[in-house]
Amino acid sequence: MKVQFLFLSIILSFQSLAQVTIGGYIKEKSGEPLLGVNVFIEGTYDGATTDLEGKFSITTDRADSMILVASFVGFHDHKILLDQNKDKIQIEIELKEKINKLNAVVITAGSFDASDESKRVVLNSLDIVTTAGSTADIPGALNTLPGTQTVGETGRLFVRGGEGRETKTFIDGMIVHNEYSPSAPNTPGRSRFSPFMFKGMSFSTGGYSAEYGQALSSALILQSKDIADITRTDLSFMSVGADVAHTSVWKNSSFAGKVQYSNLTPYFALVSQNIKWDQAPTDLNGNFAYRIKTSKTGFLKVYANLSSAEMDLYERDIADPNLLLPTRVTSDYLYFNTSYKEVLSEKWGIRLGTSFTESSDFASQAGQSREEDISGRHGKAVLDYIHSDKLSIRFGAELLLRKGDETLINNLGQTLNGQFDESIASGFVEAEQYISSSLVFKAGLRMENNSLVDQATANPRLSAGYKLGDKSQVSVAYGTFRQAPSNSIIYRLNNATQENAEHYIANYQWLGEGRSFRVEVYKKNYSNLTRYSDEFTASTFNFDGDGFAEGLDLFWRDSRTFNNTDYWVSYSYINSERNYRNYPGSFRPPFVSNHNFSVVAKRFIQSIKSQLGLTYSFASKRRYNDLNEDVFLGGKTPNYHDLSFNISYLYSNQIIFHAMVNNVFGFNNIFGYDYAAQPDSDGFYASRPIRPPAKRFLFLGVFITLAKNKSISQLPNL
Amino acid sequence: MKKTVLTAIGILCAAVLFANGGQFEKAMAKNIPAMYQAADPETLIGVVNQLTRIGDAEANRWEPYYYAAFGYLRLMSMVESTEDKDKYLDQGLAAIAKGEAIKANDSELESMKGYIHMMRVTIDPATRGMQYSGMAMASFQKAIALNPQNGRAHFLLGRMQFGTAQFMGNGDGGACESFAKAKAIFESEENDERSIAPSWGLGGTNEAIQQICEGK
Repeated sequence: MKVQFLFLSIILSFQSLAQVTIGGYIKEKSGEPLLGVNVFIEGTYDGATTDLEGKFSITTDRADSMILVASFVGFHDHKILLDQNKDKIQIEIELKEKINKLNAVVITAGSFDASDESKRVVLNSLDIVTTAGSTADIPGALNTLPGTQTVGETGRLFVRGGEGRETKTFIDGMIVHNEYSPSAPNTPGRSRFSPFMFKGMSFSTGGYSAEYGQALSSALILQSKDIADITRTDLSFMSVGADVAHTSVWKNSSFAGKVQYSNLTPYFALVSQNIKWDQAPTDLNGNFAYRIKTSKTGFLKVYANLSSAEMDLYERDIADPNLLLPTRVTSDYLYFNTSYKEVLSEKWGIRLGTSFTESSDFASQAGQSREEDISGRHGKAVLDYIHSDKLSIRFGAELLLRKGDETLINNLGQTLNGQFDESIASGFVEAEQYISSSLVFKAGLRMENNSLVDQATANPRLSAGYKLGDKSQVSVAYGTFRQAPSNSIIYRLNNATQENAEHYIANYQWLGEGRSFRVEVYKKNYSNLTRYSDEFTASTFNFDGDGFAEGLDLFWRDSRTFNNTDYWVSYSYINSERNYRNYPGSFRPPFVSNHNFSVVAKRFIQSIKSQLGLTYSFASKRRYNDLNEDVFLGGKTPNYHDLSFNISYLYSNQIIFHAMVNNVFGFNNIFGYDYAAQPDSDGFYASRPIRPPAKRFLFLGVFITLAKNKSISQLPNL
Repeated sequence: MKKTVLTAIGILCAAVLFANGGQFEKAMAKNIPAMYQAADPETLIGVVNQLTRIGDAEANRWEPYYYAAFGYLRLMSMVESTEDKDKYLDQGLAAIAKGEAIKANDSELESMKGYIHMMRVTIDPATRGMQYSGMAMASFQKAIALNPQNGRAHFLLGRMQFGTAQFMGNGDGGACESFAKAKAIFESEENDERSIAPSWGLGGTNEAIQQICEGK
């Protein structure tokens, strides 16, 4: 009997599950009703979707602890424990907006992000390599962005009144020393790093994060690619050499290797050069990348770059052009970098990295020579703490070791040797606080101690962004930056004072569909720049030099107005002066041109299966020091013009032909003048213009892809 | 007597379990066709939300998320602005990720992921084509490697191959071969309309063969 009662009561307990009706209304903070919210009883199928008025109604079986969940994209889930004694429940819920990094304001002051990951960027990494005239060189393409200066004889990134050495390159957060391959005197060098190795780039023209130090003007932050998708082999044959690349993919890892050999001998035999070459530049370059997923959230990247280059040429003596001065340049280079990323818990993440640079450069001309060995080590640990979707804090510690050894020999056989052994310990902390999805503040502090000057320094970095509307936002940034003076100064005086810069930046950005516009104004102040009367004599050095740069940068990009056509326009105005080196006062440095302008256009023409690219660049007059005039830096070069054209023809999915010509119209560009060391008997200094080694550069190549999947081609790489 | 009670409880538990299992089948049988048939965004969001609820309530079924992702793909084609389209594709990818957390390396989820990448291309072929067509292609290839008998992966690969070949202006890029493979696989399968496992694709494949391959 008892048992029967128990049995009955069990059955009854199931049947007594009465129905409960929950009705209500869901809105956001502003009071606006939310349409499409998923409202349900946790752990059951029972639920509803809110209608246009934000209303919902759910009928469910009564249970012991019923939790109502309201879930909607872009908002935090809202949970309510329901009163189980009621049959009818009325509820009003206000959902809290989640800070969605894709739609929220991002601080764009000073930075150009080119990445495949985020859709909200003004450029992506493919844009870099398809820019005509860039010859797939990262700095070459970035030189079409505002804030940069055309300094054609170096090929480097001169940013907002800063010298080329004030732009530092970082790969996966790790510093790179000596990132340009060697070149003949007054000819442009190329970056050693192929753009194809990277998935994202952030080119900062100022005001960058406290994570990056030892860069006065600019940080170029490169993120290498993750695990590759497909096993493939690529072959390229070019007018300047050949390369072979192979990628192997395994379940949780991939390896990519590329070996390039370039030799300009055949090219120089065809296209006449201003320079007489004995051994045209040859370069053997290997790039290797291994990636492995170490756990569900852990990731290890190993990257190596090795290269060896040499060239022999004859430079004409300035005073006596018939006198040929034998010139030789060689370089051996090794860069090795590892980076590891892991999520420690829901709130903590860690990044660890090391990098290793060994570089050996030699240059000689008619009895004079310069040899420099640099070895660099970099270790870094960063902890990322995510307090909430609104607040995150980053802590980091770094050790930068750098050794340099330089031997100079002049034409009298006198030797000058210099060394340094620099160790910079640094720590940084940076917090990012979102007030709402349209207002964000970021504050950081970088502390460094440089062993050579034995001075502890603190550099604050502050920035903020405010979203004006769906498409537009403003941001501002402020920061102070520090960098050791150029190596040539440290060799003479190990404890030379570090140079300082202070950046103020304000930026407006508008991102529409297929169109974007940005304008930025900035002011930069330099202090502690090195001054000297003789750059080889330490006793003449002092460190009270200063300078400033101020200007306006404009950028417009449009891939919508014209069918299959994408173009962007950059304009930079800059006013900059410096009192440094051996300047007798404050002057505009020779690398600064007041106006820089460029237009890049790309169009795919289906009927001829080709992508065409056109780049026009303009830079206004630059100054040079005319030794035959009394005025310091009184000479003015002509304006600079360049029109470059490229075409990529898809013969088939696997075979692509590529052609590129720089300076199609053959503009006579002069970057400045070199002067003879001694005046002639009339007291006149002979001179020679600094110009490109040839008016035009022509590049031809065929690219072949071998992969199981026949639809994969190198098109994305062109 | 004790034995009877235990048996009774046992039967009851089994009944409850069975009833729950049946609940899943029943709910899916209702919502899968509802997802295909929803003709306006409001109705479709309702169905996708219901599928998500089923997925959240069931700890080890990936199918609800698969169909939720499919629903987001359909939603994407119903809205106009790029931002909305991207939003639905992002939600589709998030649903796939939830499914993958339950079943890693699944051929069906992988091809759905590729499908989402493929639709990303259609939003703006000029600026997105290069990046996302590669990602879509890689997903279809991976899906086929995971299960060579996945007809949907072959069908979608065929569509991608044809699209790429059209862009290049030459041939079918191997699309007809892929469609033929898909057709053969679909026809060898017993097509159970009520099955929870994905079974769509034959109609689309036949249409593609008729439009693309037979006219040649």
